[in-house]
Amino acid sequence: MACSVFRGPRFISSILRSSRTISGAEITPKIPAIITTTTLQQPLRHSSFRSSPLVRDLQEYPEVEIVRNPPEWKYVERLLRPQTVPIPPKKVETLPSGWKPQRTYDPKSDKYFVRRTKNHMVPVYLMKTYRGMRQVTLIRYVLGDIWALEKDLRKVVEASQDGKVCASRVNEMSGQITFHGDYVDVVKKYLEEQGF
Amino acid sequence: MLVAAVRNSLRNLRISAKRDVHTTIKADTAGGSAAIISKLPDDPNGLFREPRQVWVENLDTVEENKLGIIELHPDVFAAQPRIDIIQENVEWQRKYRYVSFAHTKTRAEVRGGGRKPWPQKGLGRARHGSIRSPLFRGGGVAHGPRSPTTHFYMLPFFTRVHGLTSTLSVKLAQDDLHIVNDLAIPSSDPKYLQELIEKRNWGPSVLIVDEDDLCPENISAASSGIAYVNLMPVYGLNVYSMLKHNTLVLTMSAVEKITERLLFQLRRSDGFKKMEKFKLDQ
Repeated sequence: MACSVFRGPRFISSILRSSRTISGAEITPKIPAIITTTTLQQPLRHSSFRSSPLVRDLQEYPEVEIVRNPPEWKYVERLLRPQTVPIPPKKVETLPSGWKPQRTYDPKSDKYFVRRTKNHMVPVYLMKTYRGMRQVTLIRYVLGDIWALEKDLRKVVEASQDGKVCASRVNEMSGQITFHGDYVDVVKKYLEEQGF
Repeated sequence: MLVAAVRNSLRNLRISAKRDVHTTIKADTAGGSAAIISKLPDDPNGLFREPRQVWVENLDTVEENKLGIIELHPDVFAAQPRIDIIQENVEWQRKYRYVSFAHTKTRAEVRGGGRKPWPQKGLGRARHGSIRSPLFRGGGVAHGPRSPTTHFYMLPFFTRVHGLTSTLSVKLAQDDLHIVNDLAIPSSDPKYLQELIEKRNWGPSVLIVDEDDLCPENISAASSGIAYVNLMPVYGLNVYSMLKHNTLVLTMSAVEKITERLLFQLRRSDGFKKMEKFKLDQ
């Protein structure tokens, strides 16, 4: 049975889902050019490239017209995902999520700086090991004087637990600080207050 | 129609995704000669970005002429120098192509040994079923190396991306990265290149990277006779070669291409797809 899994962009398959199945015999030259030459059927489970039909004589396929910059293209573009993460605006109103853009870096006054992630989030994470028995707060992307940041964060973390000493680790090479225990919210709040 | 249009538009999108393209202008200096000034666009959010300024040199004279200044993107050329990631990349590059041909024969493969050497009981000797058992001299090897053993594996995609940025940053920080305007040299004589490298203290081995894989004739001919000077297109740039050569020489167009491609990889929105398990049959 000639059948193929359509691996093209999803929106094309959604356009075509309601249209009739085309097999080689039914092809007429007046088929709208929007239909691709792929045989469109329900995807086969456990299929491989071997289950695709072999290429037949090119004249058996419907005629395809190549159009550069068609006017409807803007509607397709609306559906496409941006290829890179967009740059957020510099100033935003208060958002329901509480997200704020990072402040600008001032090389004169900033001893250290915590970079945002690729997706513009504060890089503070909770790492769980031993089935959640060991919890470690991880701060990534620290640039500049990492030891100064560790000193400042230590004050905040220890203040949050009535001055009890907290174990920490600084990895200067990879720009990471870890605190033993779950202090994600405390650290995140402090860093956001500092504008990072 | 639509497929062609999709492909076309994706190409356009990719171009519009270049938001860090250099603008190169030729400014007149006081001396009357034109200087190249290649600037990055302003950082729209003013984040942690101080472009690194590097001299643009020439290759058409043995003496170094400073032609201008190019700004290098800090995310690519001033990234955190992660030596652990560099080491992972080097190890991967050595291993994925390595096939071990060490081979030993098992007891089944050694000739003979099909007969029981002596009866099980009655002789006062230890019981044995084959003279090729691993206990015997001249017997097979138990758990020995079997040929061919491949050591192929794939490093995670973004470890490879960060390997490139880390190594480029290390090269720049150690003053082993030089930018030239183009690869035009006046003669195809290898001695010219050797003199130039000697004069500029470029270290014994030099890796010259251009955007394209079609290099000018003179430099191709001159470098082909010298084993320690190598040419490479941008798509061949890799951590191992950068570390193997003392000096890395990039053309301005190569810098632009490297910056554009690596920044795209660092910011791509479908990065999770790249982090999936590597499948050979896909």
